[in-house]
Amino acid sequence: MSESSASALQLGRPSRQPAVHPENLSLDTSCFSSPSVNFLQELPSYRSIARRRTTVHSRDKQSGTLLKSTNSYNSQLEDRIAENLSSQSLRNYALNISEKRRLRDIQETQMKYLSEWDQWKRYSSKSWKRFLEKAREMTTHLELWREDIRSIEGKFGTGIQSYFSFLRFLVLLNLVIFLIIFMLVLLPILLTKYKITNSSFVLIPFKDTDIQCTVYPVSSSGLIYFYSYIIDLLSGTVTPSLYGHSDFLSFPSFVNNAVGNHYVLPTYNVSAISVLSFTLLESVEGFKINLIRSEEHFQSYCNKIFAGWDFCITNRSMADLKHSSLRYELRADLEEERIRQKIAERTSEETIRIYSLRLFLNCIVLAVLGACFYAIYVATVFSQEHMKKEIDKMVFGENLLILYLPSIVITLANFITPMIFAKIIRYEDYSPGFEIRLTILRCVFMRLATICVLVFTLGSKITSCDDDTCDLCGYNQKLYPCWETQVGQEMYKLMIFDFIIILAVTLFVDFPRKLLVTYCSSWKLIQCWGQQEFAIPDNVLGIVYGQTICWIGAFFSPLLPAIATLKFIIIFYVKEVRSRHCTRPKKTPDGIFFFLRWSLFFLSIPSSKACGPFTNFNTTWEVIPKTVSTFPSSLQSFIHGVTSEAFAVPFFMIICLIMFYFIALAGAHKRVVIQLREQLSL
Amino acid sequence: MGQCLRYQMHWEDLEEYQALTFLTRNEILCIHDTFLKLCPPGKYYKEAMLTMDQVSSLPALRVNPFRDRICRVFSHNGVFSFEDVLGMASVFSERACPSLKIEYAFRIYDFNENGFIDEEDLQEIILRLLNSDDISEDLLMDLTNHVLSESDLDNDNMLSFSEFEHAMARSPDFMNSFRIHFWGC
Repeated sequence: MSESSASALQLGRPSRQPAVHPENLSLDTSCFSSPSVNFLQELPSYRSIARRRTTVHSRDKQSGTLLKSTNSYNSQLEDRIAENLSSQSLRNYALNISEKRRLRDIQETQMKYLSEWDQWKRYSSKSWKRFLEKAREMTTHLELWREDIRSIEGKFGTGIQSYFSFLRFLVLLNLVIFLIIFMLVLLPILLTKYKITNSSFVLIPFKDTDIQCTVYPVSSSGLIYFYSYIIDLLSGTVTPSLYGHSDFLSFPSFVNNAVGNHYVLPTYNVSAISVLSFTLLESVEGFKINLIRSEEHFQSYCNKIFAGWDFCITNRSMADLKHSSLRYELRADLEEERIRQKIAERTSEETIRIYSLRLFLNCIVLAVLGACFYAIYVATVFSQEHMKKEIDKMVFGENLLILYLPSIVITLANFITPMIFAKIIRYEDYSPGFEIRLTILRCVFMRLATICVLVFTLGSKITSCDDDTCDLCGYNQKLYPCWETQVGQEMYKLMIFDFIIILAVTLFVDFPRKLLVTYCSSWKLIQCWGQQEFAIPDNVLGIVYGQTICWIGAFFSPLLPAIATLKFIIIFYVKEVRSRHCTRPKKTPDGIFFFLRWSLFFLSIPSSKACGPFTNFNTTWEVIPKTVSTFPSSLQSFIHGVTSEAFAVPFFMIICLIMFYFIALAGAHKRVVIQLREQLSL
Repeated sequence: MGQCLRYQMHWEDLEEYQALTFLTRNEILCIHDTFLKLCPPGKYYKEAMLTMDQVSSLPALRVNPFRDRICRVFSHNGVFSFEDVLGMASVFSERACPSLKIEYAFRIYDFNENGFIDEEDLQEIILRLLNSDDISEDLLMDLTNHVLSESDLDNDNMLSFSEFEHAMARSPDFMNSFRIHFWGC
């Protein structure tokens, strides 16, 4: 029985086995006789080396114990024969279907010699796996935009497809966050307000507050004129669920105990933690890929030549583009290597000159950034001061302009600075790959820093006052009775403006360009200029920026995630239509896009007393200690123990030790790999 | 180019193909449809054969620079049976395991079929990838030497299967690139 199965296996494999160098085989066995390598085989990470040495089939869990054997040729055959008993690995064999059928028949006859219990085990594991597969197939049908993304992948390759997959991920993330916030925060309030359930609002007074702090002038929404409604919609004052809505003065108590008023903070915490864990998970994947790619100089040619052609492509024009982009990339790689050699051969004079030039240019970059930040600061201050004027005292356009001034300035800055950076970096004499990465890094920093500047400006405005009125309530109560609303409005305006700009650029710049190229293709100038690229880094940066705004604003305005979801859905379709008419995909960036930062400034400003669920507390963070103090005493003492010094310091030291152990292990593995490679080349 | 006899696939056959390949039910049925449209008239689908040209001109393979090698590797005696097409689609499906893809990638890239990817094969691959008339000898030699220096571990100027496997296991783009959607539905 075993001979026939072995011969059946050998049928499928071409004449590779005899062609293997005999020296290789003997070296294989001799390598594994040295004691250091034997020791390493016992470690769990040996599995990774063993996995790479298998040729035909994957290792099932049932046969996991067989991994410990040495990898001589005979034991591989035995592994395979033993693995015959698990039928799931049949697919992984590199045989055609008729041979697999023969193998399966052999397996089934082999099964008869097993005991009843083993037979039942095999049968149940097979049916369980089949069930899992069917379930997985069902769930793939539920994927959003599955056919669209498939067709994009087929036409344009995996680069552009990854952008659209990312967009879909963000849509789902925003939807989930919005559902959490809606279910736990908005729904109880709406139910209570419209008297659907038998709950009521409870006003919980804070002991030491001055009564002045709680006054909130609810402005009457006089929607008499149509344009004032538009202005309100655009400025965010009538969005029904902004934080400072009067119903937030108090909060419905569902349960008749003191824990009722802590209901809202857990929901925000839950959504914050889920969001952070999502980003962490994504960034872990990015880290893994980065670790592999860190040997980039080492691997890039193999990768580009053997995995360079995207087999998904079915479109003739995309195929031509792929050919030309491969030509460009391979030539650029060789060029980069020549430049790197040139850099290595630089004299010390040249090095000093280059470094001083780079320092000077970096100072220019900083100056440009500083100028942009100052412009944003001035615009925000101006806009905040003049927003308080009456609507009917101003012209329609002027009012909108003032409202949107910070957004306009931010967008202009984000548009101009990449061009400046691209010009500057040419003089800094880096290798082309590094140039691209540095430019992208600078643009990312620019985008995120502008949001931070906006937020800090608002913060400083809220806490600054001319006289001592700030000491009463901790913030400028007269101008900003509900400061969270203002911040929410600013984020909302930023998001709307960003969305309008994306639509406007697609409609008024890309489509005319495409029309020009199609109908005036005789002119060389139009041909050169009109060829559009789907610049993946820029597009990804755009949607990451939009998502950051959404997250910062989500705390203040619960509807913002829903608006962001709608925005991303519309952007998906717009970009899909646009990409049908567009051309070269550029090189995709690495995992730096998965680092988004929370702006935690709201923890430092006292929460507004007049509105919101946090009226009882000085800052929002205070809720957590108060909540902990209401836990049962055993849990409390446990939490106190975990956060105390006596626990934290040893814990930190142990974590450091574990980290050093893994670093040392990785170093040892690397040394063994180098040794083995030297031995192979002898 | 007529149509095969329009037999519905038996349920047991469908189940068997699902168990033996990485394809889903819908994919198998789609390929079955496409096969029926292409195969010679009057034959049962299990006995009909497609020529290599017919498979090369499938929309999924039409613009692939390696389509002749793909057809060569997956066909038997120069023709494709239905199960050969299924086997090909299974290897290129997104659920296929890495070792299977690496195995077949090695066979596809081995142009002279001597069991190794040597310099000749590498140069042919590069020429197919670049698809241009003015590739200088220097460029070809440069690229070939780079690939060999990265992955040739025993310095014999060719890549054996284990060396190729080692290189592809560390390549981040291989699993994503080595995929074809065969069905048009």
